Amino acid sequence: MRVTVRTLCAIGITLGLLFTGACRRSEGGSATTPPATGFPATNAITTAPLGQVAGASGNVTALSIANPFERNPQAIEQGKQLYIKMNCAGCHAYNGKGNMGPDLTDTYWRYGGLPVEIYKSIEEGRPQGMPSWGAALPPEDIWKLVAYIESFGGSVSAKDYEHARQGDQPGEQIAPEVLAQKP
Amino acid sequence: MELTAHAAAGSANLTGATFNFAPGDPAGEWHSQARDYANTRYSTLDQIDTSNVKKLRIAWTFSDGTEGGHEAAPLVVDNTMYVVTPFPDVLYALDLTKTGEPIKWTFKPNPSPMGKGKACCDSVNRGVAYADGKLIYNLLDDHTVAVDAKTGKELWRTKMGNVETGETMTMAPFVVGNKVYVGNSGGEMGAWGWIAALDVASGKELWRAYSTGSDQQVRIGTDFKPFYEQFKGKDLGISTWPAGMWRHGAGTVWAWVSYDPQLNLIYYGTSNPSPRVPDQRPGDNLWTSTIFARDANTGMARWAYQTTPHDRWDFDGVNENILLDLPIDGKMRKALVHFDRNAYAYTIDRTSGEVLRAAPFTYQNWSSGFDRKTGRPTVNPDKEPHPDVKLVNVCPPDLGGKDWEPAAASPRTGLVYASIFNLCMDLTDNKVGYIPSTPYDGMNIRRFAAPGGNLGEFMAWNPATGKKVWSVKETYMTMSGVLATAGDLVFYGTSDGWFRGVDARTGKVLWSQKVGSGIIGQPTTFLGPDQRQYIAISSGVGGAAVVRADINAGKPAAFPAGGNTLYVFSIGGDSVTADSKLSTR
Amino acid sequence: MMLAEALRGESSMAYHHTFGPAVDRITSLGWGLAIISLLVIAIISVLLLGGMFRKRVAHSQGLAVRSDSGGVSWIYVGTGISTVILAGCMLWTMVVTAAVSRPPKTPALTVEVTASQFWWSVRYEGVSTARSFITANEIHIPVGEPVRIELSSADVIHSFWIPQLAGKMDVIPGQTNVSWLEADKAGNYRGQCAAFCGAQHAHMALLVVADPAPAFAAWQESQLSETAVTNGESDGQKVFETHCAVCHTIRGVTPEGIRGPDLSHLKTRSTIAAGLLLNTPANLAAWIANPQSFKPGARMPAQILSGAELTAVTSYLSKLD
Repeated sequence: MRVTVRTLCAIGITLGLLFTGACRRSEGGSATTPPATGFPATNAITTAPLGQVAGASGNVTALSIANPFERNPQAIEQGKQLYIKMNCAGCHAYNGKGNMGPDLTDTYWRYGGLPVEIYKSIEEGRPQGMPSWGAALPPEDIWKLVAYIESFGGSVSAKDYEHARQGDQPGEQIAPEVLAQKP
Repeated sequence: MELTAHAAAGSANLTGATFNFAPGDPAGEWHSQARDYANTRYSTLDQIDTSNVKKLRIAWTFSDGTEGGHEAAPLVVDNTMYVVTPFPDVLYALDLTKTGEPIKWTFKPNPSPMGKGKACCDSVNRGVAYADGKLIYNLLDDHTVAVDAKTGKELWRTKMGNVETGETMTMAPFVVGNKVYVGNSGGEMGAWGWIAALDVASGKELWRAYSTGSDQQVRIGTDFKPFYEQFKGKDLGISTWPAGMWRHGAGTVWAWVSYDPQLNLIYYGTSNPSPRVPDQRPGDNLWTSTIFARDANTGMARWAYQTTPHDRWDFDGVNENILLDLPIDGKMRKALVHFDRNAYAYTIDRTSGEVLRAAPFTYQNWSSGFDRKTGRPTVNPDKEPHPDVKLVNVCPPDLGGKDWEPAAASPRTGLVYASIFNLCMDLTDNKVGYIPSTPYDGMNIRRFAAPGGNLGEFMAWNPATGKKVWSVKETYMTMSGVLATAGDLVFYGTSDGWFRGVDARTGKVLWSQKVGSGIIGQPTTFLGPDQRQYIAISSGVGGAAVVRADINAGKPAAFPAGGNTLYVFSIGGDSVTADSKLSTR
Repeated sequence: MMLAEALRGESSMAYHHTFGPAVDRITSLGWGLAIISLLVIAIISVLLLGGMFRKRVAHSQGLAVRSDSGGVSWIYVGTGISTVILAGCMLWTMVVTAAVSRPPKTPALTVEVTASQFWWSVRYEGVSTARSFITANEIHIPVGEPVRIELSSADVIHSFWIPQLAGKMDVIPGQTNVSWLEADKAGNYRGQCAAFCGAQHAHMALLVVADPAPAFAAWQESQLSETAVTNGESDGQKVFETHCAVCHTIRGVTPEGIRGPDLSHLKTRSTIAAGLLLNTPANLAAWIANPQSFKPGARMPAQILSGAELTAVTSYLSKLD
């Protein structure tokens, strides 16, 4: 068989499509090997405050800690298995809409909807009946749960941490005096 | 003419049923959630009757300032009204002798907020009990507390369980003499169900009977004489479970207790088994979904009857048992009437546990019949759930054909009146492990209306024949308790906020009032200091009636927001405030 | 330190040497078909080679068409023999597969096997409900008795295969497949997941232990018993309850965690990690500290335990008999 230019092009395009598909698939890496940057350090997470910091200048960069498993499809799937097996579904419902526990799919978060805030709620537990999972689940499993909860669509992106605390919504106007206040 | 005289007196008792109204509390007061030992919820007051009920208006209201479903009935003792709120379980005493019914005292028990996240069906409180100058009630965090009725000071507090394990307490205590009976909640949390008797004076626990475990733990002894063969045997509370699973088998006691003073027996039911995935716990799972008769002094069981063996759909057996004597097949029987979650209405001989009548009172398809010889329902194999398989159109759903909302009975008509449901579900079970303080559940449910399209229904039932006499269909769920009065009226409320007065004989709705939020509480009636008859009901939707968007799919959002207002009605809205003679301002 | 040692030289993946009526006849069939096939190959090869190297007759006349020298009858003979042999093989195969499709008598014992990534949960039904119990990765059966196996999957498609006792039966989510097996003699038989199911498919083994009847009954009783709290191991038990009980169960001690294998009576098992490691304290400690180093992709995450906690819980687990 003679190898024509047409044949070569066909082979090349096919291989190209296959490879790009594979690239999309492995974005984020495997869910069961630790991410290249490792998991966020425990002491960094601990410094993320529940309330705002007293005094004008406070270091809240801890709130911008991102989920290393964000949008990782294997992590989301494993987070879903954990959500069911750890009985999260029993309080928060299989579709996340809540029952005994609050709705995790809406945009209201009593203790904050940033990835690190959701992580802390799971790890520490909360006073009105949310158990503390920090002893039972290692950070890897908790971040997978956070990834699954983020996939519901109601959480806040880590980089928007200031806006989340201050009740801002996309598309809003900002009064000029407020803009002027920013450091 | 005789017929006219009969009709004029309106004394046609259709069933021949008679009731024992012990302990005979004063007609103008309301001392117990269920009114009396037999749980009739019937009042002899007849100022408000079928001729003037349409003139009922709001006399006064009281907001208690809390969130959540309001399930309790207000008590009235000695011209003081006692109102308990859902979590944080605050108790108010309102002075009915003064204009504006001001707060006499407030008792704040400070229960642990952890209970809020452990209560399956809202952090509710089903009411207080009055005994011996005390008000006794349960806190969500497993403490029973007694408060001085005059001063509002705490007299005693007994820790009955540990809220950290997932069990809570929501039921209204039941007093007989010097004992008060209380039970736990947590059938979705793998709790270990029990009922206990406390001494009214000191709060000390006298005995506790568990719902699973050895005969000793369940307080089954030589006096135990169940009617059916499957309940005879040793340690059935262990052997009807896979090894060890009885420990977290639930069978909690979270609703009503009744009492027969002549037989000296208390009657109550136990919850569903845990987990709610039946394939994980083969066996009959005794003694869950079971009605017990126990000696009121010692707690030793006399008989037991399991309404739903190896319950697969969360059909608790906790609904009230109304005690009545009635003629069955020509003979007078000491019986009880029980509308079970499984959609069957039972008339049971309360001396022996024999089922005299069992008939569905609402649409159901889980069972193809009831075997009178064995006392077992015949399960439809198509409606048996298995893990990871979606089972469609199972009726009734986990909430049952009727839930805890208590029925009432009238000696004038001989009928029993109940708020019931017309619901089905799609169900997928997921296997679950037991992790203490988390749900031990596994049911993934979508609920919707059964054939007919209405979600609720209010009905009159003939316990002698096992048939519905009349019913009022409601668009939304009817999850309120019922009040029956000598004015030949019955009262109930809907979850979208309508409070209705109905002719007890004909089923005609004579009066309706829209209130601030949905009604899931229990109405009561009393005489004020002005000797006027009032009707009281709390509004504040929640509980398990908050089944939300999935049940209202397609309908406009007529489902109300929550609320916390007590409404008191009288003819014309007249009350102490309008009577200057009694006003103290 | 692997499974082969545990089996002490019994090479148990050798499916041509079987020990049970569920597969013995298949083994004979296999050998039979192999021998027939080899013979056929031999005969055809001889004929073909003969045909290739046969001397050709020279044709000086150059006729366009050769006259028929009468070889057609060989075609009929050849086809006829092939048909008879193939029909015979087909019949033999059908008879054997029908014979092994169900056990010779109704099995007294039913075992429910649930396959997960990457381990096996095993549930024994008892004569009464209270005598049913759960274990993992190791199935004990009585010698000489057929055992019914009900197969279900917790996640993806797996396949249940005990080469020396039972043929492959796929385990498919959403349905229950039924297989059976029986062991003629006592011993340990290795099994393996036989349908690719994920990263650790190759390390998803299981062990079938055939015991004589009294030993089997004793094993059942010990599995049903609830572990007593062993003095001196209470630290280890506390570590287990805090860190492990959300996924693992120890009957009588902690309630049912179901995400991972049931660990009741762990000491009675010869291997851990679904047949990957010998059940020794050293292996236990290494596995618990970092399962991913042995089985990357297994669902058990690395545990964050201090040295003292690890020692305590390993000691506790290795004493669970």
